[in-house]
Amino acid sequence: MAPHNEPLVHIQNFRMDFGSTTVVEDLSFDVRRGETFGFLGSNGSGKTTTLRALLGIYAPTAGILHVDGRPFTPEAGSRLGYLPEERGLYKKESVLTVMTYFGQLKGLSKKAASAWSSNYLERVGLGDHAKSRVDKLSGGQQQKVQLGVTIMNDPELLILDEPTKGFDPVNRRLLMDIIEEQKRAGATVLMVTHQMEEVERLCDRVILLKDGRAEAYGTISEVQNQYGGTMIRVSYSGEIPASPHYEISTRDRNYAELTLTDTVDEALILRDLVQAGVLVRSFTTSKLSLEEIFVTVYGAQNEMVGA
Amino acid sequence: MGQHNLRTVLAFEVTRTLGKKRFWFITLLVPIAIGIVLALVVLGNMTAADTAARQADAKLAFTYSDASGYVDPAVATELGGTAVTDDTAAIAAVKSGTEEAHFVYPVDPAETPVHVYGVDKGLFGNEAYNGLATQVLITSAQDRIGDPALTALAQGNVPITATTYTDGVEAAGFLGMIPPLIFVVIFFLVFTLLSNQMLTSTLEEKENRVTEMILTTLNPTVLISGKVISLFVVGFVQVLVFLLPVLVAYVFFRSSLNIPELDVSSLTIEPRQMIVGALLAIGGFALFTGTLVAIGAVMPTAKDAGSWFSGLIVLMIVPLYALSLVLSDPHSPVVQIFTYFPYSAPITAMLRNAFGSLAGWEAAIVIIELFLLAALVLQVAARLFRYGSISYTSKVSFKTVFARPTGSATRK
Repeated sequence: MAPHNEPLVHIQNFRMDFGSTTVVEDLSFDVRRGETFGFLGSNGSGKTTTLRALLGIYAPTAGILHVDGRPFTPEAGSRLGYLPEERGLYKKESVLTVMTYFGQLKGLSKKAASAWSSNYLERVGLGDHAKSRVDKLSGGQQQKVQLGVTIMNDPELLILDEPTKGFDPVNRRLLMDIIEEQKRAGATVLMVTHQMEEVERLCDRVILLKDGRAEAYGTISEVQNQYGGTMIRVSYSGEIPASPHYEISTRDRNYAELTLTDTVDEALILRDLVQAGVLVRSFTTSKLSLEEIFVTVYGAQNEMVGA
Repeated sequence: MGQHNLRTVLAFEVTRTLGKKRFWFITLLVPIAIGIVLALVVLGNMTAADTAARQADAKLAFTYSDASGYVDPAVATELGGTAVTDDTAAIAAVKSGTEEAHFVYPVDPAETPVHVYGVDKGLFGNEAYNGLATQVLITSAQDRIGDPALTALAQGNVPITATTYTDGVEAAGFLGMIPPLIFVVIFFLVFTLLSNQMLTSTLEEKENRVTEMILTTLNPTVLISGKVISLFVVGFVQVLVFLLPVLVAYVFFRSSLNIPELDVSSLTIEPRQMIVGALLAIGGFALFTGTLVAIGAVMPTAKDAGSWFSGLIVLMIVPLYALSLVLSDPHSPVVQIFTYFPYSAPITAMLRNAFGSLAGWEAAIVIIELFLLAALVLQVAARLFRYGSISYTSKVSFKTVFARPTGSATRK
């Protein structure tokens, strides 16, 4: 095991080519132990490819991809909880049989895997369906089973590729509870998602991938600062003067949004407006939301769902 | 962990297969069909015996004319016959139903057909006329010869026991071919019944989108090995199920079914032939299983895999179409090609092994070839599964898979 201050996931100069197409190029980032890390990007930006390469499903063209100081192998699967983007279960077997099988593959004894599965199914309200065939369950019920399989054996690293994709609101809530629970238990979470509000609520740090390259990387605050940082919303009467300290990004009849172009104090902006004869009715400052940054980076043409 | 996972996969695959009603339905269909056929045969034999007994009791009245002079009137009378001279009137009597049958024996019955006229009693009932007409002649001839043994010899009823030698050792003959031929039957039956399962065993992971979760907990080679071994186990269970009704029929219904008593001691079991047969069957099974698993890993659906599957079946059974050549001229170019081409080799080599025309060195080459190729194909299957099974909706080309750098070379 790598020293505890080392990142749990370390990716350096990763490159992935499929034939003559380069999908990911010179990508480097770390995921620290115990943090929740958001892996963001538009469809086709290389997120799933990176995760598959990290987990040894794809062989990378170049670069270092380490989990706990070494390349990931299935032998370390007992410490991993992976919910892939393309996910499913054996359909013709019973729920308990499938869960027990995956538990055994993760290193649990058959008895322990069966007991864990039974407890989990009771917890998520599927206790009566333990012996039902998987394909007899509803889509939402199957999602609960998939979540159970993912978190079996209390994984040290939880990798969730678009975890809420296709989830109904109830299961989305369950998933969020589970992520927070795992986080409290000390798990490191690496998640791919397009739900920016979830990222802002859950993630400590993020990386934005664009066309296979890192576009932004850091804490949410750092990324917000990188993309204009602070926005001022003003309700007013009069004429807002031009200033080297801001750009007027939105202007309606009595409302404007000013994006700061430097680190000037917001109070100074307010003073300049008043001195210029603007009657200011309200003046609020806020950071750019990740959603706004996402649209800025990837353009409005990108869909907000799908991979 | 690898051993643990292999056992886990093996137990999961075997249990889920043996736990399926569909598996038992298909598996039991064969012995049930055999059982039904055997029951019909037993019933038929009993009915035939009853009919024969009834026919023996019921004497058939007939008229006859004899131009040959071979018919002994006393014999004919004893069998229910009455001599007449007017064939036209006798035939008219049969037509009107006042007489049951009339036989016309020509001058030379050995060269010219005996004409039999009778009231129609159906296909099998009418056979009684022919039998009776012949019986009259045979019994008359036997009486004239006066020696039953001489009569039997004249009929060619001569039992012969042959003893032949190979390299100074008594050859086993036909009885020596039976035991090694069993491997051909087992191979063919098990492959036919399990081939679809072989093909779909990895398709299932793909179609159900389970692959990625599997690949992060399990080495693909372990998964493929577990699946192949489980197919061996399932195949063994099927063979036992197939053999059960045969055993029951032999032990309990041997006389009813007219099954000749099998003197096991008369079967010559040649250890070398049996070992070669077993190795050829196992090697062939492994090769075909690995190949079907590989095809399943590449193709997006079972339907897409179907055409490849058909081609493989044709390759496997094509030696059976050249069976006479395999028997009569095992060293002909065609048979040699079938013997060494991997996908026609198992059946060809097993047949030649049973017929005694597969030399030791030839057997060694084919066995090594089958096992080496099976191992190679399993490796390829594992690699195809790794890369092919996450191409959920498209077929993966070999070029794409084998152009990839290996993980160990670049994942540092």
